[in-house]
Amino acid sequence: MSDQAFEALNTYDWGVEPKVLAPIDEAVIKTRGDAAARAELEAHLAAELQSSAPRAAKDYACRQLRTIGTASSVPALAALLPDPDLSHMARYALERIPDPAASAALREQLPKVSGKLKIGIISSLGTRGEDLAAAPATGPFGFLHGAHHGGTVPLLRTLLTDSDPAVAKAAIHALGVVGTPAASQALASAQSTPGTQTAIAHATLACAEKLLAAGKKREAKADYERLLKNPPSKLIQSAADRGVQACG
Amino acid sequence: MNLQKTSRRDFIKTTGLAAAAIGFPTILPSSVRGDGQTPPPSKRIVMAGIGLGNMGGGDLGVFLDKPDVQYVAVCDVRKGVRNGAKDRVDQHYGNTDCKAYGDFREVLARDDIDAVHIATPDHWHALIVLEACRAGKDVFCQKPETLTLREGPLLVATAHRYGRVVSGGSQRVREDYMDIVTKCWHGKLGTIKSINVEVGPLSQLCNLPPKPCPEDMDWEMWLGPAPWAPYNPGRCDGNFSTSGNSWRSYSDYSGGGMTDWGAHHFGGATYAVDVRELQPKEVIYHAEGEHPHLEFIFPNGMIITHNQPGKANMEVTGTPGETIAPKEIPGYKAKGGITADFIHCVKTREKPFRDIELAINTMSVCHLGGIAYRLQKSLQWDAARCQFIGDDEANRLVDRARREPWQL
Repeated sequence: MSDQAFEALNTYDWGVEPKVLAPIDEAVIKTRGDAAARAELEAHLAAELQSSAPRAAKDYACRQLRTIGTASSVPALAALLPDPDLSHMARYALERIPDPAASAALREQLPKVSGKLKIGIISSLGTRGEDLAAAPATGPFGFLHGAHHGGTVPLLRTLLTDSDPAVAKAAIHALGVVGTPAASQALASAQSTPGTQTAIAHATLACAEKLLAAGKKREAKADYERLLKNPPSKLIQSAADRGVQACG
Repeated sequence: MNLQKTSRRDFIKTTGLAAAAIGFPTILPSSVRGDGQTPPPSKRIVMAGIGLGNMGGGDLGVFLDKPDVQYVAVCDVRKGVRNGAKDRVDQHYGNTDCKAYGDFREVLARDDIDAVHIATPDHWHALIVLEACRAGKDVFCQKPETLTLREGPLLVATAHRYGRVVSGGSQRVREDYMDIVTKCWHGKLGTIKSINVEVGPLSQLCNLPPKPCPEDMDWEMWLGPAPWAPYNPGRCDGNFSTSGNSWRSYSDYSGGGMTDWGAHHFGGATYAVDVRELQPKEVIYHAEGEHPHLEFIFPNGMIITHNQPGKANMEVTGTPGETIAPKEIPGYKAKGGITADFIHCVKTREKPFRDIELAINTMSVCHLGGIAYRLQKSLQWDAARCQFIGDDEANRLVDRARREPWQL
């Protein structure tokens, strides 16, 4: 491991040539397959997040943790979620770390933030969906499979009536991204107002598609037929019509 | 549906692509369409442009010149650029009706707009296309249509969900490579085994120093979903360089030459060897030799190589001398290039030549290649699930978190 490169990282700021960090870039590749070396590299990067290094340095550390971060880095990343300057880059890593600890950290921090930062965490939770009960040691990236259990949908459900309309809409949208039966039920229970009706409709359509793709025709059809009772626009009506036809 | 009684706008907004799916295009009647004559403004496709720099300005001119388009709005985060675009549109029509916006959401909220063309930097493409589809607009989006792999299926699903015509924007696929395409499709090269593409480089991290931001630039909006960084003219310049001092060079906004020119070259290559409807199942990383290079293996056995030593760009390996029956070459559905193809499809609801589903297949080659190079390893790809097989490390790079408040 290049101590010189990490010393350079400690003072890495906007305007410094990124090539001073090339040894760290190379280490990300070279430590593949060497658990101890990889863990040491990760620890160095996580420690950077808790240091007094410039923002650009922490930005860089988050980028690398996106590629190599594990549950070990989650606490250091989660601590940045309330930071307006670094919340996004913390999510840049957390959103892509397969370990369920990343989702848990996002959920834990959600009540502690507001406004845009809250929307950001909601977005990352939606993208991650629900985690598997136990992350597999190998195999496909778990969160792409959608729901098995978890706390994301219940948490998003509580935000459907958030006093900040932007947060409520973000939660609606995220439920459409999650696309599970539980998400569908949450959307069905959402109070439709002039400000949220269209957002709920779009999310319901997205959710229904995922349900249909997962073989849940009955649930998908119920979603489409619910939309057809009071579609907010001809566009939504046509989309729901096509959805019903697709259900057979 | 009685076309005579249905307004043109209703027809465009609510008719999906189903008409094309039943085997013939549903044509707007001439009372609405206007055969070869300039239709009155009320009968034209109402368009707006989002992102009006080098490419967007060019696209604006092309759409503005179409007699069946009524251009009503321009949008750019730079005040000077959007005002200049507005002046250009106003001059064309001899009025001051064109509206200039700094926020694309205001454009998409307009019910009178049928279609938009998008030529923002690449990090905005997918998000704006998705919002446009949700707003009931048809879309012409410049290549590269995506910045990440995950964006691709989302664009396809959303376009289909709302019955939108969404065209990618590589005019070169059909116009630059027809010689090799014709040879392949007409059997002149026998059974095609492989084609090589030369393109690059990959984009890099940008760490340019802060500079004062011009007053007419909305820097927050320029960055949008990309990570925050201080303004520097080299970071956001729209010149065509991929080796620095342009957004095309930098990984937060672009895949570099691999996607910028890759969208053209891989588009041409997949067209020539007829795999536009497929994505690779495997990309093999070759570290040997002076420079790494790749092989993309398609499910039907076709191979596309990238930067293979000893091979030129678009060089085909086949079995010349073998008799192969010619096939009809798919092309545009109207004369006048890719933009005319798009406008035609807006009217008929057919799928355009670079339909978004085909565009993202091409982009998958670019992105898979970029990830293979960055991780320096071979990869297996499950296109249906949009994930790498057995490779958590690569799967982390399938997408990236967007800066709040932007959600994909």
